[in-house]
Amino acid sequence: MFKKLLVANRGTIAIRIIRACRELGIPTIAIYSTADKDALHVKMADESVCIGPPAAEDSYLSIPAIVSTVLTYGADAVHPGYGFLSENGDFAEACRRSGVRFVGPQARHIRLMGDKPRARRIMIRHGVPVLPGSEGKGVTELRDAQASAKKLGFPVLIKAAAGGGGKGMRIARDQQELARLFPLARAESEAAFGSRTMYLEKYLERARHVEFQILADNYRNVIHLGERDCSIQRRHQKVLEEMPCPVLTDRMRDKMGKAAVRAAQVVGYANVGTIEFLLAPDGQFYFIEMNTRIQVEHGVTEMVTSIDLVKESIMLAMGEKLRLSQRQVKYSGAAIECRIYAEDPDTHIPSPGIVSNHHSPGGLGVRVETALYDGYQVPVHYDPLVAKLIVHAERRDLAIARAKAALREYVIDGIKTNIPLHLKILDDPDFQRGEYATDFLRRFEPAAAGTVEVPRAVGNA
Amino acid sequence: MELRDIKALVLLMREHGLLELEIEDKKGKVRLVRGTAAGSDDKPSSAAASRLIARTEPAPAAAPGVPAKKNDGSASKGNAGASGGIDLKPNQKLVVSPMVGTFYRAAAANAAPFVEEGDTVRKGQALCIIEAMKMMNEIEADTAGRVVRILCDNGQPVEYNQPLIIIEPA
Repeated sequence: MFKKLLVANRGTIAIRIIRACRELGIPTIAIYSTADKDALHVKMADESVCIGPPAAEDSYLSIPAIVSTVLTYGADAVHPGYGFLSENGDFAEACRRSGVRFVGPQARHIRLMGDKPRARRIMIRHGVPVLPGSEGKGVTELRDAQASAKKLGFPVLIKAAAGGGGKGMRIARDQQELARLFPLARAESEAAFGSRTMYLEKYLERARHVEFQILADNYRNVIHLGERDCSIQRRHQKVLEEMPCPVLTDRMRDKMGKAAVRAAQVVGYANVGTIEFLLAPDGQFYFIEMNTRIQVEHGVTEMVTSIDLVKESIMLAMGEKLRLSQRQVKYSGAAIECRIYAEDPDTHIPSPGIVSNHHSPGGLGVRVETALYDGYQVPVHYDPLVAKLIVHAERRDLAIARAKAALREYVIDGIKTNIPLHLKILDDPDFQRGEYATDFLRRFEPAAAGTVEVPRAVGNA
Repeated sequence: MELRDIKALVLLMREHGLLELEIEDKKGKVRLVRGTAAGSDDKPSSAAASRLIARTEPAPAAAPGVPAKKNDGSASKGNAGASGGIDLKPNQKLVVSPMVGTFYRAAAANAAPFVEEGDTVRKGQALCIIEAMKMMNEIEADTAGRVVRILCDNGQPVEYNQPLIIIEPA
């Protein structure tokens, strides 16, 4: 067992990791920036260390500050959570070189999957279905993009090779749009990732975002824990996730699950991970990318499978073997997660401030993951995700009813949240029938002319 | 070590603002010093050191980096404890740590401390060292004055912004 684990994150996931460590009997070190001195994770951890100023680059994204904390305060494991340095191969490498275990895959797997065209090539080589797209190592020049788009046929999706979070991503419906949007997307990618390399994918209309949770040990054993439907998203940000995917048959689940396991197996992946697919209306599915970390929405899978994914990630990092075979994975009922963002529900403008009153819902099958408390000041510096409401029930319709009841009970005074948007989604007849795709949330957007929406998820989860 | 390895190291040093770097592996040992370092005569001989001007926080001294640990029941926070209730007089300033690391009062285990309480220091004089990732960072006084109190013990882990030394500017 690890002697001391450093939680290299903040907010809901830091709390989640500290709880898992408490159950496992592992003491924790929280790190924080000066903006987070009153944050819940700082209060909950056994030790807490201020590592830098509010700007994430100098605190939660600072590899030297975090590694120095590890060495000075004597941790033997680091859990990166999601976001921040969780998919930074250099960080995983720095941990290894400092003699501390990184709770996640090897640096080379993080780097491999972070290079999207390379990940695509590997999947193609191993027979995992991939969307038609530009070939090779990616495109940097417009004329190559134009040639590639001509071959693929419009519409196409322009994506950043080093992509994530929806940055550097645009749909082009014809050559004219491509000529206009390609340089824009490339500039965005350069600003966000320091990379001018782009690639193109055939853009699928009316597709769903369906991802598979993977568990893999160091001995090449890989299983999947079923899917999550994450099609309800706004500008590549997932808003609501559910399991099971309402349209997936057992046969399809088996087929896609096998493809996901193969995707992880062919690269020798270990620890938790997620294989993201697009599911077309005709039942065809395509690999889009792999996330090499725990996801925001991991709780949904935990409720349906009764498997604690954060504890599993820690045990796998310790070198334990998988405790379950694929056949032992059992699914029970339906789960829905509502991501509560501190934002104006109509304008989506972030709403930091002091939470004057916080009452979280409870009861059977209701779970709240949050770092909020009465009097807590939501800082302006970080992600607006402040809580996750996860409900579980025997059937999907019961889960929807439970989610609605819990959302109505949830009190977060002092800041604005998107709870009203969640209620609208859950009340929508198409949602209730399970008939939705990645463009679903556009129906609640004020018709804004000229805005470019990309109904496709990446996001940090 | 190959030339291109050294080039990569130089880039890394620049990226992370390191002034000196010493690496030893199977192939041998290399020590790199970037040009911007201050005078090197008085450097500790045992280790590379980069110099940093101490950031002082004016009184009153609610050190920003120190969490307000109000009745946090279960959590026991050992290391930031030194900063608990520091009484700063209006004419005093606090030297705080610019990084997470280990606090050292001297350049080497058997060397004399840089400063003692009551000492007068000049601007730019080394006050202590913070070791972070095997790098020795000298903390210099940003003002001339008198050392009133040294708040940390030799070898103690310190946080970002943790109060280290109280100085009374001259």
